[in-house]
Amino acid sequence: MTLWVCFRCIRSGRHFRGLPILIQRRAQSTTTNNGISSALLTRAQALTAEHSSLSHHLTESFDAKIAKRVGDLAPVVQAWTEWEKAKESISELNVLLDDPDTDAELRSLAIEDLESSNAQLQVVSDKLKQALIPRHPFAELPCLLEIRPGAGGEEAGLFASELLKMYTALSSRLGFRSTLLKLDTEEGQTEDRLTEAVLEIETDGAYDILRTESGVHRVQRVPATETKGRTHTSAVSVMILPSFPESGSDMDSALNFEDPNSDYYVNPQDVRTEKMRASGAGGQHVNKTESAIRLTHIPTGLVVSMQDSRSQHSNRKKAWQILRAKVASMRREAREQELVNLRRGAMGGVARMGRGDKVRTYNFGQNRCTDHRSGITVHNLGSVLDGGTGLEAIMDSVRSWLTDREIEDMIAEESAKELLKSQTNVDKKNS
Amino acid sequence: MPRLNTFSILQAYRRDPLLPLLLRECRSVGSARNELHWLRQHALGSRRPDVSQIYKSLGDTRYGWRSQLKSMCRERSRGKPLQYILGNQPFGDLDILCRKDVLIPRSDTESYTLRAARLILKTFSTHGQHPSSHLRPLRVLDLCSGTGCIPLLLHALLAPHFKSMSIVGFDISAKALALANDNIMHNVRLGSLDERAIHEVRFYQGNILDRRFDQILESASQGLLQLAANNSSCTYDKSLKYDILISNPPYVSATSYRDGTTTRSVRRYEPKIALVPLMGHHDLLSTTDYKMEDTFYYPILLLAFKLEAKITVLECGDHEQADRIAYLCRKMARTKMNGVWHIQIWDCDWEDKDGKSSHSKIGSRAVILQRLLPNAVLD
Ligand SMILES: C[S@@+](CC[C@H](N)C(=O)[O-])C[C@H]1O[C@@H](n2cnc3c(N)ncnc32)[C@H](O)[C@@H]1O
Repeated sequence: MTLWVCFRCIRSGRHFRGLPILIQRRAQSTTTNNGISSALLTRAQALTAEHSSLSHHLTESFDAKIAKRVGDLAPVVQAWTEWEKAKESISELNVLLDDPDTDAELRSLAIEDLESSNAQLQVVSDKLKQALIPRHPFAELPCLLEIRPGAGGEEAGLFASELLKMYTALSSRLGFRSTLLKLDTEEGQTEDRLTEAVLEIETDGAYDILRTESGVHRVQRVPATETKGRTHTSAVSVMILPSFPESGSDMDSALNFEDPNSDYYVNPQDVRTEKMRASGAGGQHVNKTESAIRLTHIPTGLVVSMQDSRSQHSNRKKAWQILRAKVASMRREAREQELVNLRRGAMGGVARMGRGDKVRTYNFGQNRCTDHRSGITVHNLGSVLDGGTGLEAIMDSVRSWLTDREIEDMIAEESAKELLKSQTNVDKKNS
Repeated sequence: MPRLNTFSILQAYRRDPLLPLLLRECRSVGSARNELHWLRQHALGSRRPDVSQIYKSLGDTRYGWRSQLKSMCRERSRGKPLQYILGNQPFGDLDILCRKDVLIPRSDTESYTLRAARLILKTFSTHGQHPSSHLRPLRVLDLCSGTGCIPLLLHALLAPHFKSMSIVGFDISAKALALANDNIMHNVRLGSLDERAIHEVRFYQGNILDRRFDQILESASQGLLQLAANNSSCTYDKSLKYDILISNPPYVSATSYRDGTTTRSVRRYEPKIALVPLMGHHDLLSTTDYKMEDTFYYPILLLAFKLEAKITVLECGDHEQADRIAYLCRKMARTKMNGVWHIQIWDCDWEDKDGKSSHSKIGSRAVILQRLLPNAVLD
């Protein structure tokens, strides 16, 4: 199978309104230093300082939480130390070269050294960048993949079931265990149309790999039922949600949904359970098969209903799993929105991809699949829809696109904080 | 059963010509669609919903599945329970095999069993130690065990917490007995039950209303305890005592069996002996306010006191029956044994998440009799 990846399309970025502005602003507001912006450097310094004060604290009294933080910071500190060392040796070499008294032999040695030191600095800079990019809080979790057809009626339902097949194939190709938590279909004339599906991908870290898939997927093709040969456009929404284990105590405290202090705590008192139950006698008098469950999270209004299993018990368990995932994901998005607002307040508006945005187009007529975020186009739709190398190429390109966005976000966040700080300082001085 | 109007039947027919057949037993189009989905899966030969099912429905399916599905839907329209057609019913995380002549496990019973397991864990872990450090096996007696669903689910839920258990089930029906034994092996094979269950759970045939039932029970229990002692390092004492007594005995009155309270499908297809007490109890027949449908509770409670059960769980048909049984408990506790007793009634709408749920006046109940130990917990 051949795979055509159009590299011209990668990073054209033209489709994405906010992007050029963002890049422009970054160029203005930050001076770069081997790709390490001053904001990143400030952050590295701050984290190193935090590391040393916490390590000091640990020598006096042990605290598991602090120890964990120290462990998490260690790679940053190491990369930062190496970066400083590389910088230092470069500036020493430059001093040597600038000195007219340096003899010729030493000078040629220094020039050689400078070359290798510059190369070294590049390596260390990349390492520092890696260490500084914050891990997504759900990165290590398994995930739920929710598929819902949007506009486009029957076509959308058909394409939704094709996407479900695509992701199932991808999971098995990657060696991930996946199970179908929920499958609602409408029986159609020839084929089943999907109305909603939730696929659980049980492997740890699946969230991080699949989070590139959240958003609206658009299909353009001539439906089988179309007599005049017109191309239709329909849309399917895909959502990647974090999957939490059944018992919260297996999680570290930040993600423990049973811990009232966690961001992702779901208070059972806030959840209304409705059972499909018949009026009239129960127990031995009836052998009903109704097992549907509906949960409503009252504070957010999120509703999850589940009827796939013949067991109410199992429907309830699955419904809770999905509800927890949705609540957590909603709260996470709210936090991200806060950051965006903070940034916007400090540096002017920058649009962000939301879950309602169109992320990808599958064009059958042209046998191509284009992702509108990274701009990649794969000219072999089959290798995408069978969950194969085409899909993986797209996901990889989107992942690096996402990483770049995250670095930009982080830098923007840091400078917004800086700005806020200097403003308060000015205010203080003035008063 | 509520009548569905012609329009919705027609609509259902357009969706699938088989749906109207199912609507005769189901109360709503939604539940008929669910049943059709499960029957279809069964006909297609896949036990669990998975993606292959989508492929299958694209046409390249097993030859003849559609006609098999049609005949299953026809059976269902005549009132045959879905559980008998499919041959099983999920119960907790177990898969309980169901067969003609043995009562199908109910979701109310599932709920009481889950809740009982939680109460057992709470009760036995408050002595300052984790329950698994108990030297003596946890002893559970289930009377009228049918498919064996209650003892098997208790085993599945409690095995991780107790080093050793000894669970005994009794039923009068030989068919129930055979099925219960099949259910042990079936669930061990599925991996939903620990292998320990093979020697820790035993089913015996016996008539609870028999005057000499305690002797039958005694000889059965001794055998099993010896077995448990041989299989683990647990110390074993010879006294005829049980920690837990649980039962879902026949409790339907002759009237509510006839007057439509009991549905057509139950009457036509499930064994009457599992539902309606057919003979009275010798000790009670002379009492004036005696109700036939309460027959089993008196001898079961007598046993509960004799065996010094710490927790007794009795399913009842409705809140009135539950009130009568709770009253009986109170009366017997006063005369039979000293001690502090706690009696409560559980609702069928309990949620294991403590979430909000609607409480209704209708539906089954369970009466719980707890002998309070020092620093015991109340559920
Ligand atoms: C309501 S069913 C309960 C079955 C099972 N425990 C459940 O919850 O699904 C009652 C059971 O009691 C059994 N039974 C009826 N009369 C009995 C008797 N006199 N002694 C022992 N078992 C009896 C029936 O065979 C039936 O299996």
